[in-house]
Amino acid sequence: MRVDPTYITNLVGSLDLAQANEEQLTAELSSGVSITSLGQNPVAAGENVLLLNQIQQDDSFTQSSSLVTGQLQVADSTLGSVVSQLTQAISLATSANNGTMNPSDVESVANQISGILDEVQSLANTSYQGQYIFGGAQTASTPFSTSTSTSPAVTTYNGDQDVNFIRTPNGQKIQLNVPGSQIFLGTGANSVFGALNALIADYSTGTVNTAQAVSDTQALGTALNFVSQQRVTIDSSITQLTAASDAVTSSQTQLTAAQTNLMQADVGQVSTQLSLAETQQTALEDVISQLDQESNSLFSKLQ
Amino acid sequence: MGTINSAFSIMSGALEADQAALSIVANNVANANTPGYTQEVANWQEDQPLTVGGISYGQGVTETGATSLRDSVLVARLDQQNQLASASSARLTALNSLEALFPPDSGSSSATAGDIGNDVTTFFSSFASLEANPANVSLREEVLSSATTLAGDISNAAASMNAQSAGLGQEAAGVTSQVNSLTAAIAQLNQQIQTTSPTADADTLEDQRNEDISQLSQLIGINQIKTENNGLSITTTSGQLLVSEGSSFQLSSGLVNGTTHFFLGNTDVTAGLATGGGELGGYLTAATVDIPTAMAALDQLAFGISTSVNALNNAGTDLNGVSGTAASPLNLFNEPTQVAGAAAAMSVVMTDPSQISAAGAGLGTGDNSNAVAMANLANESLFQPVATTSFSLTQNLSSTTPVNGTVTGSALVYDSLGASYNATVTYTNLGANSWGYSISLPDTLTANTSVANQVSYSFGAGETVNPGTNLTITGSAAGGAATIVAPAVAPGEAVGSAGPPPTGYMASLDSALTAAGITGVTVSNTGGVLTIAGATATAGSVIADPVASAGSTGTLTFNASGALISPASDISGITFSGMGDGAASLSLNWNLFGTGGAGNITQTGAGSAQTAQSQNGSAGIGSGQTPTDFYASFVSMLGATVAGVQAENTAENASVTQLQTQNNALSSVNLNDEAAAMSTLQTSYQAASQVFNMLNTIITSALNLGVETAVS
Repeated sequence: MRVDPTYITNLVGSLDLAQANEEQLTAELSSGVSITSLGQNPVAAGENVLLLNQIQQDDSFTQSSSLVTGQLQVADSTLGSVVSQLTQAISLATSANNGTMNPSDVESVANQISGILDEVQSLANTSYQGQYIFGGAQTASTPFSTSTSTSPAVTTYNGDQDVNFIRTPNGQKIQLNVPGSQIFLGTGANSVFGALNALIADYSTGTVNTAQAVSDTQALGTALNFVSQQRVTIDSSITQLTAASDAVTSSQTQLTAAQTNLMQADVGQVSTQLSLAETQQTALEDVISQLDQESNSLFSKLQ
Repeated sequence: MGTINSAFSIMSGALEADQAALSIVANNVANANTPGYTQEVANWQEDQPLTVGGISYGQGVTETGATSLRDSVLVARLDQQNQLASASSARLTALNSLEALFPPDSGSSSATAGDIGNDVTTFFSSFASLEANPANVSLREEVLSSATTLAGDISNAAASMNAQSAGLGQEAAGVTSQVNSLTAAIAQLNQQIQTTSPTADADTLEDQRNEDISQLSQLIGINQIKTENNGLSITTTSGQLLVSEGSSFQLSSGLVNGTTHFFLGNTDVTAGLATGGGELGGYLTAATVDIPTAMAALDQLAFGISTSVNALNNAGTDLNGVSGTAASPLNLFNEPTQVAGAAAAMSVVMTDPSQISAAGAGLGTGDNSNAVAMANLANESLFQPVATTSFSLTQNLSSTTPVNGTVTGSALVYDSLGASYNATVTYTNLGANSWGYSISLPDTLTANTSVANQVSYSFGAGETVNPGTNLTITGSAAGGAATIVAPAVAPGEAVGSAGPPPTGYMASLDSALTAAGITGVTVSNTGGVLTIAGATATAGSVIADPVASAGSTGTLTFNASGALISPASDISGITFSGMGDGAASLSLNWNLFGTGGAGNITQTGAGSAQTAQSQNGSAGIGSGQTPTDFYASFVSMLGATVAGVQAENTAENASVTQLQTQNNALSSVNLNDEAAAMSTLQTSYQAASQVFNMLNTIITSALNLGVETAVS
């Protein structure tokens, strides 16, 4: 035989490679992840970054969506209560306007409507997680306050006209709030507080100017309808958010499946490769063992 | 005719030859495992025949020595391939360490430590969460927390890369002592070989020299040149001498600007060694190409995120109703001044979560429009070109320059489209320690094709902006004279409706108005429509692109000791137009003095030389890429580099094995052959001995005349 100084070195190198391969395959089997370094599959490593980014954006939106849906539902529920209160106020005003009540009853109606106004103002000052939801961007200060120094009393808005939006992962913008002034202090007959304050003034003396009171009652009806219209915006946002959230969840499921396929180890394939690597290692060890004996040259035959 | 005596002589010669050949076999077997040993074979030579009376009689055999079985071409080829394999192996080791800093995220619930891709997404998602409740303090804390994680991971990765680079430099420097030891040994062997074996193979010495060259090939890329008398010269692959026959030249290393460089004598051979091969080449390629490439990408990512987020945060309104100003910025990240080093320096400087500007400019604290904009940065290209606004140039002005002679320096600057140009500063020696200077931009600016409906200006080659005409720029365009009139704007007139002017234009325009003496003017930008209004601006006032102010030429005066004495204070506001792309214009403020009052202009007795320049622009990065796209591209490219070098290394090792096998087939000791040779020589020796014995019997018989006696 030829004493090749690199035989053993080459074989040991091959053995090292086989063992490293086994370690890699074992790591893939134990972790379930097929790509543990960038060099193994550069394209998949890059694609993985993009997929995880999309998945996480979807996840983040789903959480935000849940939070803002709660806020919108509170707003919707609040406006529902406002509608009930206003309906009750219209009913009271209608009965006061029919001319059958004595002054004391009329004053009582005024007091009841005043109570409704307080209630509506309280509803308009509703907060969610410490933030006033009808103050526009002025979420830290009470949006509405009423001054009784004049008759009729005047309710003023301390918020602004700012409207917030949330952006979905596909770029859709969904409205998150309606400024309180737009709901409760609409122009002319659309003003809830204007109509309520006017009716209180109409009945507070016990003497009813029927024409004025009827007109103010009609204005309250108009304001009620206006509130309902604004409520539609809130409802529409809730619907949009639900739809967007569903779409995002569906997208997230698909993306997660794609990302799993990309990174997950194929157990069958890896097991086969591991088995082959083990066979190779055994074969290499046998060869090295044979060479190590060095009894194959002609010298062993010389007498 | 032959005699018995001559037969004796022939046989004794044969016995000697057989003994010598057996000795060669023994030497081969003894050195079977000696590294670098080349198998030797005995040289047999038939002795000159004796001719007597026209008849030739053979005179036996002589063993004339041993010949090493060597193929110099194959050995040299093997050395070359070893250089390549060693280089790729060393580079691969370094790259494996580098890629380990950016582990792929498995996507499991727990994020991988140091996963910058995940950090980027989490950071921008934290702004998306803030959209839902912009005043919520815990959501704001999350923004700061995710920013801290992002900045920490990026700066840690940068620090690790710097450490790896320094480590590679040290390893590379460590190789030099081995290289020097080997080149010294080769030079010594050259001397011995040239003395002892100038015309033939030097056998053992040659083996040792080849072994040393083989080891040297593992370390460094070399070329071999055979010289006279069996000598050898060795150069680096770029041609610098390492060994010249009996002399060797020491390779040394030292730090230059913080990185390890290599020298032969006074010559810096680093660049040649990096591409030459060998372990040193691999280390240097990793340290000077692979790591800087990765670092540059990380710097770009850090710079893009930091500057974009800071700019938006300053533009919005924080929870205290405050907006950032130049004097009191609301920076979330440490604001980088340049791309280089941005990753290592990335950190979160904001400590109060209420300073996050979730609300838009001038809006209530419950507004979320700025949070939406910052979250949307995840979907926008963060790496727009940055126009140069200032540059500095360190220029030696030679005292040997004759009066009216000039020295020029240049600095690379960028326009707002990322195109680069050379701003040229010309210094003219006016005598009496006085120099004049002027600045010009001899560049051709290309049209802005990336934004529709924006006006573009083209300047001719060699054109110099004339600072005396604020409103009209004249010059020599290629093909003839050209006059470019800047757009005229009357008070109150809306301009730019064809395309929204970016913020930079607004700022530049504002300073242009001031420079033009038009005061009390308000410049506003509403929906992309630029409006100029003001009490004192009169109809006919023409507003140009940023103007070249007086002072773009001037005089520098030095005292007798060469220190700059005039101008006595920092010069700023040397501005000139010329970098505008029609929408975002550029104003270059050339500061003669750097920070701390150190003069950037020096006058020395040495030759004129430009030693350093810096500027604050950039060409823009990864056109249209979002931060995540950019990071994904980065990891793909790094992975592809690792995979490429891995494949290269595998192929080169296979080639080395093949060449090694070929060489071993020729040059290594074959025990079978040696056993056979020994057996043959033994037989031959026995036969010769037998013949000798018979001759002895014959001559004894002859001496005793055929009678058996005691003489034997």
